[in-house]
Amino acid sequence: MPDVETSGVEEAPAADAAASALTYLTEMSPDLRGGAILGSDGAVLAASESPNRWREDAAALLGIADRAGEEPVEQVHIATEQGEVFALRHAGLAAVAVSERFALASLMFFDMRSVLRDLAAGGDGRGLDAA
Amino acid sequence: MPPKPHRVLLDRVSGYADEAAAYMRRRRVSRQPFARLYYAEGRAGDHAGDSRVGAELFVAAGRLIEVAGKRPKP
Repeated sequence: MPDVETSGVEEAPAADAAASALTYLTEMSPDLRGGAILGSDGAVLAASESPNRWREDAAALLGIADRAGEEPVEQVHIATEQGEVFALRHAGLAAVAVSERFALASLMFFDMRSVLRDLAAGGDGRGLDAA
Repeated sequence: MPPKPHRVLLDRVSGYADEAAAYMRRRRVSRQPFARLYYAEGRAGDHAGDSRVGAELFVAAGRLIEVAGKRPKP
């Protein structure tokens, strides 16, 4: 049985499921300014706005992060004076989020991981709340 | 299999406590920007802004912050 924690999803989540997941992530994280959910091929499944910009800039960030080490990066957290950037890969999907400064990083990653886990399992990112 | 609800709650509470402590520690030590990468099995690495990788990461992050824009007023 494939391990959903590390293996990719066999079929990309539907765009409306990804959009629902991004909306849910925004609802859960009041500090969130914007974000995007990307498929295993780097295509944007959902974005708060400007999907092409999110695709290009998220790919650039993850590419730089991957080249920085000997293995693909799992999480990225960059804090600047203008805001904070979070990126997380899970089950072949990726989520990228931008928040206000001093957002709670572990909560942000927890929420992002929950959303991606549910999307990978065929849900709409809302997990237990959908029941 | 989805995590058990009580595990979710415990994880969130633990997350709050950890982050509160980390937040205070970070404020005490410095408020400097940082770039941190996490790998499988929990390994992490920091990249200073004056390193090549660090500088590239900050530029890429700046572009994402730009595209996200400002948070809409409630």
